[in-house]
This record gives sequence, structure tokens and C-alpha cells, in this order.
Amino acid sequence: MASAGKTRSRSKSVIPGFGLTMGITVTLLCLVVLIPLCSLVIYTAKLSFSDFWATVTDPRVLASYKVSILTSLYAALVNSVMGLILAWTLTKFEFPGKRFLDGILELPFALPTAVAGITLTHLNVRDGWFGALFAKAGIDVAYTKFGITIALIFVGIPFVVRSVQPVLEKMDPEYEEAAEILGASRSRYFFKVLLPELFPALFSGFTMAFARGLGEYGSVVFIAGNTPYETEIAPLLIMSKLQSFDYPSATAIALVMLLFAFLILLINSVVQNRASNIVRGRS
Amino acid sequence: MKNRSRFVRGLLIALSFLFLVVMLVVPLIFVFATAFQDGWKPFATTVSDYYAKRSIALTLIVTVITVAFNTVFGLCAAWLLTRFQFRGKRVLSALIELPLTISPVIAGLIFLLTFGRRSILYPLLERANLDIIFAVPGIVLATIFVTFPFISREIIPVLNAEGTDEEEAAALMGASGSTIFWKITFPKIKWALLYGIVLCSARAMGEFGAVSVISGHLMGKTTTMPLYIEILYQGYDFTGAFAMSAILVVLAVIILILRNIIERKGGKESL
Amino acid sequence: MKLVNINKSYGSFQASKDISFEVPQGSLTALLGPSGSGKTTILRMIAGLEQPDSGDIIIGGKRVNDVPASQRGIGFVFQNYALFRYMTVFDNVAFGLKVQKKDKKYIRSRVMETLDLVGLSGLEKRYPSQLSGGQRQRIAFARAIAPSPELLLLDEPFAAIDAKVRSELRTWLKETITKLGITSIFVTHDQDEAIEVADKLIVTNNGRIEQIGTPLEVYQNPKTAFTAKFFGSTSEVLHYEDFDTFDRIDDYDHAYVRPEFIKVTREDEKQKYAHSAVEGTVEQTFFRGDNIELHIRVGENLLIGSRSLFEPQALRGETVKLFISKLFVTRGNEVIPLENLSMREDPLVI
Repeated sequence: MASAGKTRSRSKSVIPGFGLTMGITVTLLCLVVLIPLCSLVIYTAKLSFSDFWATVTDPRVLASYKVSILTSLYAALVNSVMGLILAWTLTKFEFPGKRFLDGILELPFALPTAVAGITLTHLNVRDGWFGALFAKAGIDVAYTKFGITIALIFVGIPFVVRSVQPVLEKMDPEYEEAAEILGASRSRYFFKVLLPELFPALFSGFTMAFARGLGEYGSVVFIAGNTPYETEIAPLLIMSKLQSFDYPSATAIALVMLLFAFLILLINSVVQNRASNIVRGRS
Repeated sequence: MKNRSRFVRGLLIALSFLFLVVMLVVPLIFVFATAFQDGWKPFATTVSDYYAKRSIALTLIVTVITVAFNTVFGLCAAWLLTRFQFRGKRVLSALIELPLTISPVIAGLIFLLTFGRRSILYPLLERANLDIIFAVPGIVLATIFVTFPFISREIIPVLNAEGTDEEEAAALMGASGSTIFWKITFPKIKWALLYGIVLCSARAMGEFGAVSVISGHLMGKTTTMPLYIEILYQGYDFTGAFAMSAILVVLAVIILILRNIIERKGGKESL
Repeated sequence: MKLVNINKSYGSFQASKDISFEVPQGSLTALLGPSGSGKTTILRMIAGLEQPDSGDIIIGGKRVNDVPASQRGIGFVFQNYALFRYMTVFDNVAFGLKVQKKDKKYIRSRVMETLDLVGLSGLEKRYPSQLSGGQRQRIAFARAIAPSPELLLLDEPFAAIDAKVRSELRTWLKETITKLGITSIFVTHDQDEAIEVADKLIVTNNGRIEQIGTPLEVYQNPKTAFTAKFFGSTSEVLHYEDFDTFDRIDDYDHAYVRPEFIKVTREDEKQKYAHSAVEGTVEQTFFRGDNIELHIRVGENLLIGSRSLFEPQALRGETVKLFISKLFVTRGNEVIPLENLSMREDPLVI
């Protein structure tokens, strides 16, 4: 009877290694992820709610949230549009230099963020290669929200392209032909057929770029200028609290950021579920 | 009609080139242009500096340990999650993916809280004379955290797509776990594994936020290359900062090339 | 090989309900049923790939529930063959022997012998991706029998092969298994395949066994309504008591007829039991290779009948006469064969 109970908790497999891999996976997971996260929870439990509330509603903190969220949002939107164009270009057209474009696309994943940060800063200061052009038009890039957005566009480029590309590749050309035979115009095809089809992948890419932008530190910190209320992002504020050993404030700010990140991911998973239910015929 | 779609095609290609060249290619060129603006000499001086060498060595060590750790973890987790059905499987895979959603700065923070002065673990660590915070172990831990799912998430889709028939067939004939793994499974996942290792190395050598929180910036001891670049930059040694950056850029380009080779090889074999 | 009262559930879904059957030494048995009927689960439990919740699995007189799959002396041919893609044909077939640490010389001769048996000598250096579907099937078979198992299990062995090769392989498999004399069980959803290849059929549906018997027994004397409907191009007859010379049996409210029970005659042909034949209109005709299938409308009923290729063709829209000699009438899952009364009268006339 005891063995029957055991087999019910997991279906016994002939493939060996369950105990070993389970042991290693759970141990390492505890060591690297669970224990540190628990200590965050324990530490938070020690904070008094009034202190927590005072910290996260401090005008400077609120301003930093606003800067982080707005710049990440702008960057993710730009990346969604450009990502769609790039994915389309790379899957539907043949042209010289295509492999180069496809290869370099993931540079933001390969290049250390600090390097990206100082490079983008130097390019965009007033006497930099790009900054000089913008300066002629009377626009400052470095040390403004615009600059932060540019840094976040840089780090977010691969997300949307890489999530939309496989969907476009798999999409049957008959799909487009069917729409054409039915007499749909190009724009109608794009908005009524293509966009709904791509939406789940597009949204998931957008979400990842957005979430990445919210947490990004290395590439932003140099170009931001870090003026409180103006160009101070939330991760930087956490960093400066930590440097003055104000752990409670740092933790409080971090918690709100974490909750926000989880919220975005939750929304994404709801969107993805709905989409896959439609495709699978469940409503 | 034909002309119009030709025009749209040209426009889209031009737009793609413009965007990627401005956002990615120009910054790459800029790093080299700045690093070598006064010729080889300043570059050589910066790179041969004692602290520069130390930071390069530290980055290498951290990267190697991180990759080794995550490879073992990635293989085990992928085997567990694709070869067995058990309760709590979804929770487990969600927890493994969790570090991807956490800001690097917050990742650094949670290790500070776990091993720092105010942690309950601190007296234990003190007694054992173990430095984690503001020391190399902390840097390694934080780097492992931010790259935790990198290898498993490359292997899992491959193993899922392959199914378990071949492994079952081998097990039915009495093959041992290690025979099944090395003879049957490993050949199928080697490219995915290599791909994961490449991605993991890239992120590990470049991690800045998490490491920055936990390193304490002790020159020659806990400064990895990205941190050393920050220090040079903040000391207005721009040429030096870009010289160090140039090394990382070269590594990044090598990683991109490797990535493309692996993808092509892996893609060919799965056909 | 014997199963006794096997039960198996996945969550709330019961895949096997009280399964018991016995397979005699040296026989070739088919587990036949529609998809989702639980036949593959039974096969996987025999192999040890799944564990039953209760009941006994007995192989060679010993209970093997707690014996690991690899020690049960079983050869298993997977539906998609599960050939090791990164090994040559030789290494695939040799795998089981190598695992058993047989000596090199023996392995070599046994692999060659097995490849010879499946008629694929000379391909040992190829990789599975360089073989055709039929060749892969034979290699999977060779790999399973190389370690000389006591029991061979085949999961939908012909499902992944195209129609022409499939019928060749059926004959080949039956001959080879008979030659080897190895006890074999195969799973299939294809009734023609089961009838053609197996010595014995086990018909499954909804996790239960419906009937066990030789192909002829199961086909001619279905013991359950499911089995009666499952074989042949069966069509349902509504209000069977309205047809001439069938008596209604109380509570048996559905009736089914197979094409071979319907004699279809054209207007100018003689129908033996003309007085109990009904008139119908041909709605559709299908060329089936060895006969012509006719869908005939008789009032509310659409019946499937057939005529031989050598008879003059019945055309679409033509009025024909039908005589139904036999029906299966059912109550729930119970079935009774019902013969046309006029056939019983017939001997009296003579």
C-alpha cells in the first residue's frame, strides 16, 4: 500500500535520475534564489508599515518611479514598432547584409551594459557624434529623460524582434494569399489579419522590454545625469540608499518595483492565456 | 501595385539598416575610435596597469565559476522538468525563471540582506571567518543569480520537442542513467547547451548592477572589468575607460559570431 | 503473459478499468480499439513504462509489477520507432546487447544475424535519417528483438508508414514473428490490420475490454454493441421492425447492419427473397478497389451496401431492391444477432 501511495505522487518513470536531478535542482535553487528571496521577505516583515509608506510616497521616490516607468514605456513602444519592422524585414525579404543585421541584433545581450552606458553617453553629449546633431536643433540628449529612453531602447532592441520573428517565420504564406483572394487590401490585411495574429508575441516582447527597462541600471546610470526629480531612475535611488547604508528605504523602494514587475508579467500571462485559448478553441 | 510594394520593401529595409546602424554599429565603432584616438600607447598603458589586469582576471574567474555552476544546474533542471511528471513542477519552473524578472540592483540588494551585517546569518559567517559581501563569493553569487535560468531555458525546449521515446527505449533495454545521458540525450542537446553557455558567459562577464551593489568597489580585489570601467570613467580617464571597454566589445563580437555559428550548426542538425 | 484486474487512472480519468486477459505462448495478439480507448496504456504497463494502480502483471508465471522495465525481458517497438538518431543502424541494434555487456564478437554476429532477418544487411553504417519509413520500422523491430526478448510489444507499428508499404510490412511482420515464435502483442486502431495480422484480438473501448477472441469469432459473433458497430462499414437502421420480416425484441431499440448482410439487386435482376426486399434509391457510389460501395436511401435510413465489380453497375439515382439478411440489435452494450424470418421459412419451401 505504501508503494501505491508513492507511485501516485509522481508517475513512476523508467528513465533514471529523478532523485539526483531533483536533489541538485532544489538545493541549488534554494541556495541561489529561495534563501535570498526569503531574507528579503524577512527583512520586509521587520519594517514598520508607516515607515514603509513614508518611504515609498516620498516625492523624490515617486518622481523616480515616474521617470522609470515613463522612459521604459516610451522605449518599449519604440522597440515594438521597430521590432515589428525589423522582424518583418528579416523574415520576408532577401537583401545583401541581411545576415549581418540578423547577427548584430543581439549585441545588446552580448555587450556589457556599463560599456553601452558610457558609449551612449559620449555619443550623445553636446559635442558627441549624435549630441552635436541634436544640439543644432536645440535638443539636449545626454542627462535628460530623452537620453534615458535612448539607453533603454538600446537594451530592449532584441526582445520584440526575437519574439515576433518565429511567429512570422511559421506563418503560412497561404494565410496572406487567402486574404488576398478574398479581396483584402494590404492595410486591411495588416490590421485585421496580421496584427491580431502577431499580437500575443508582440505583447510578450513589449512586456519583456518594458520589464527589462524598469530594472535596467548599467546602461542608464551614465547617461541619466541622475538629477533628483528629473532624471533619477528607481534602481539608481535604491543604489544611493544602499551606499548610505539606508537598507530599510532601499528595500521598500525595491519591493514596490518588484510588485510592479510581477504585475506586468501577470498581465502578460493573462493576455497569452487568452490568446492560446482562442487558438485552441476554448473560450 | 508592384511599384508600391517595391517601394515599401525598400523603405522597410532602409529603416531597418538605419535603426540598427545608428543604435548598434556606430556605438561599436565609437568605442574603438575613442580607445585608440591617441594611438596604441594609451591603450597599452591602461590595459597593462596592475588594477586593470586584476579586474580582467577577476572577471574571468567569476565567469568561469558562474558558467560551470549554471551548466550543472541547467542540465539537472532541464532533465528533471522534461523527463518526469511530479507535483509542484510548475512552481519549480516559475522559480527558476524568476531571476530574469528581477532588476539586477534588487538582485544585489537581496544578497546584501542575506549575507550583510544585519542578516541573521551574519554571526555565523563571522564565526566561520567567511567574507561574502564586499568579497569575491558575493560577486559570484550575484552573477549566478542574474544568469540562473540562462542554460536550462535553452535546453528545456529542445528536450521537450524531442520527447522521451528514445530515452525510454534505452531504459527498457537496461541502459544506466549515465549511458542514457551521454549516448542518447547529450548529442541532442549539445548545441543548445553550448548556446546557453555562450549567453551565460556574455551576461556573466558584463554584469554590472548586481555586482556593483555587492562588490564594495575594492580596487584590485572586488572590481570586475565593468566596475573598473566605471571607476576609470568617473575619474575622467575616458580613454582608459574606452580602452577597457574595447576588450569587452571584442569579446561581445566574438560571442555574437559564436552564437551565429552555433545557431546555424544546431539548426542544420535538427533538420 | 497474463494481466489480472488491472486498473489505472490519470487524475480523474480512468484509463484502464479492470483489465484481465491472457496471451498464450508464441501467439500474436492485437489490442484493438479507437484512439483514447486505453490500449496503449495497457501496452505501456506490460512493458513497465507505466505502473498500474492495482492488479497483477504476470510474465512467464512470475508477477513482475515490481520488476524494473529493463529486467522484464521485453522488446518494445515504439510508434515513432524512437531510433537513436545519433547512432548508426549497427549501434542502434547493438545497443541492448552492449548494455548487457555481451562480448564484442557475439554482438557483431547477433546484429548481423538480426539485420539479415529483417532483410537490411548492408545498411549497418547508415544513420536513421538516411533510411526510408519502412526501413526504420524494420530497424526498430531488429533493435527490439536483438537481445532475444521473451515478449515483443509493438505500439501502432504501422501508423507512421504510407499505405502501400504498410500492407507489405504487415505480411512481413506476421511471417517474421511466426518464424521467430516469439509471443507478441501489438496495439492498433485499424480493424483491417488487426484482423489480417493477429491470431487473437482484444477489443478495447473506454478503458474496458469489450471482447477477446480470434478475428473470425469477433467479427462474426460480436458480444457487445460496440464490437458489432466497430467492424466493417456498419450503418444504423432506424425502426428496424418496419423492415419486412424482422420481429422487434423488447427494449432492443437500435439496429446495425453490415454491407455483407445486404443483398442489393437492380430492377432487372432477380432477388431471391423478393417478397421481403425493400426499395431504395442510390444516393452515392464509391469505387473501393475490389467492390463498389453504395449509399442507399430507404425512407429515413441511409444504408451502406455493396456490389461486386463484376456485376452491372448500379448508378446514382437508380432505384434498387435491398434484402437485409441479418441485423445486430442492441440494448445498451448488449447485442443480439437477428436473422431475417423469411430465410428461416425458406427450407420449408424446398
